[in-house]
Amino acid sequence: MDRVSGARVACVWVEAFAAAAAERAEPALRERPMAVVTGAAPAARVLEANAAACERGVRAGMAEAEAVARCPGLLRRAASPARTEAARRALLDACYGVSPRLEDAAPGVVHVDLAGLGRLAGGDAVSAERLARAARAVGLPARVGVAGTRTAARIAARGGLGVVAPGGDALALAPVPVTTLDWPEDVARALGRWGVDTLGALAALPRAGLAARLGVMGLAAHDLARGLDDPSPWSPWALPPFWEEAQELDWEIDALGPLIAVLERVVERLTARLSAAHLVADTLELRLALAGGAHHARTLALACPMEAPRPLLTLLEHDLGARPPQGAVTGVALQAGAVPRRALAGVLGRAAPPAERDLATVLARLAALVGAEHVGAVALADSHRPDAFVPAPLALDGGPDATACAGGAALTLRRLRPPRRVRVAVDAERRPAVVAGALGPEARVVACAGPWRGSGEWWDEGVWARDEWDVALSDGAVCRLARDPRSDEWYLDGVYD
Amino acid sequence: MTPASWIRAGTITEIVGTLSSGRTSLMTACLRDVTAAGGTAALVDADGAFDPASAAQAGVALARVLWVRCGGRRDAALAATDLLARCPGFALVVLDAGETPPRVSLGAAFRLRQAARRAGVALLLVGRRRVAGAGATLALRTRRDALAWAGSRRAPTRLAGMSTRIHVLRNQGASPPSGDERRWWTA
Repeated sequence: MDRVSGARVACVWVEAFAAAAAERAEPALRERPMAVVTGAAPAARVLEANAAACERGVRAGMAEAEAVARCPGLLRRAASPARTEAARRALLDACYGVSPRLEDAAPGVVHVDLAGLGRLAGGDAVSAERLARAARAVGLPARVGVAGTRTAARIAARGGLGVVAPGGDALALAPVPVTTLDWPEDVARALGRWGVDTLGALAALPRAGLAARLGVMGLAAHDLARGLDDPSPWSPWALPPFWEEAQELDWEIDALGPLIAVLERVVERLTARLSAAHLVADTLELRLALAGGAHHARTLALACPMEAPRPLLTLLEHDLGARPPQGAVTGVALQAGAVPRRALAGVLGRAAPPAERDLATVLARLAALVGAEHVGAVALADSHRPDAFVPAPLALDGGPDATACAGGAALTLRRLRPPRRVRVAVDAERRPAVVAGALGPEARVVACAGPWRGSGEWWDEGVWARDEWDVALSDGAVCRLARDPRSDEWYLDGVYD
Repeated sequence: MTPASWIRAGTITEIVGTLSSGRTSLMTACLRDVTAAGGTAALVDADGAFDPASAAQAGVALARVLWVRCGGRRDAALAATDLLARCPGFALVVLDAGETPPRVSLGAAFRLRQAARRAGVALLLVGRRRVAGAGATLALRTRRDALAWAGSRRAPTRLAGMSTRIHVLRNQGASPPSGDERRWWTA
């Protein structure tokens, strides 16, 4: 990137990322000193601490007992890889809403290519502000630096330099204290011994001398001080096909109320991420880790893609109420299948479709009324099996369908689900003559057509075969009967109406 | 004139008839007209009798139909209809009440009409008998005329079509079918 003329890179950096991830999961922690600890007592050590804890002398690497001695009111949270990973993805999602070209440099460090965004966003300062705002929206306080290289942008972010003017990287980095960056132990010791306290002083040292005294590490430190990138290529981050938020629990939950309270935070975080990337959820997959190692997994196909947290939470609450987990919950993971949010323009002469918020509310209430699996649009399945259809998202956009036919209508069947078993007496030609148990006790067949034979999936366990008959009965009904040739049983499939 | 043109936004229309009289075909034609025009429709299916394959064959854009299956619960069907009638944006909300429509008091029918009027939703009630009483702007009764069969006369292979006659039971300023439109043919 550094060799590309006019390249502009932003670095989004979140200080003490593991602690920031914990604060994101529990926003109340922001107001109080908190440290993320790793290892078992008494050997537990502080992994990272938030700003309030740092002010009271708590440092990373410190023994937990010492940290508590320095800060008696210190709250401690166990390190959670799932929580940190979710926060890492959330930061990437937030940045994706500003620029599609990202590099996941490290947990809490994202490089954003700003090339070409000037005309769209209005300059580096505006892009930096948008990145910081997007990160805040997903619950992560980030600092943003913009410079000509990834390294310079990273130093600008950590050093609080903000936007570095094009071509002024070396000049801007010169006064930054060397203690701002993390150095290998040998390099840090040597710099201290030499009295080098700023990056400018380090950059002014002769390169050959650094190489002779510190080897490869010395050359790398020199490049770093000058804001030059290492030769590794930009490794672009790709948008994942699914979006997941997870939370491990420090305690077991065996009641629906507390579980919903946890889920509420998870749903809010997930929808904030989707919103930052201009996406909406069309499916939800909930995985609950249970005490004893078992899992409770549920998949909800949403009748309408949505991003509002409240209806999603209502759907989850209803589903968990109907099918509660068989054990105490120790972890929550919520995954969303995401689709792009569609802008809906009003069409002259046609009413606008339901507003997303209204529709989401109605769908949530309908789901609570009749069950989520009984609400939604459908599409025909790719099968010849009778009554084969699959759930499909409700389409709210699109204009008039010019291919639709007008005028007459097709014969419509009213289906019985499941098909009703009936007794049929056949005549000499093996055609239905009398039907019992269809819509009344018994009815004579006054006209019939058939058989219309069908079969399928003989290569699979779902093999089916049937002879269909259309019959007009003496009681006035016109029905479709089906005979299963394997069992010689008759069924009432539906009534033509 | 298409079936959807008989129905007005903000009003209640009823289609009643016995089984195999053609009332469901008429309802499907309304869904087809609305979805083909780009509108969004909702179908509250009290018995879960809707057949997506027949509807798709009739030209209904299934992706634009919100299908609510109530599993035989009439109270849930009425509540779902009430919810949908209050949601602006649905061009058509259909309650297919089946053979045993729920009892709706006159007050409830007028409240339903008022909700539909406020949201600009056309409400279509389909069933064996009328339920909205004076709350309905247009009420139609379907009666089967004749059947047509495909294949040879001696051994027909399939039901080919059905002729339905439409009678206007109530009309309060709507545009009911007239003349030839009162004879409805499904094939």
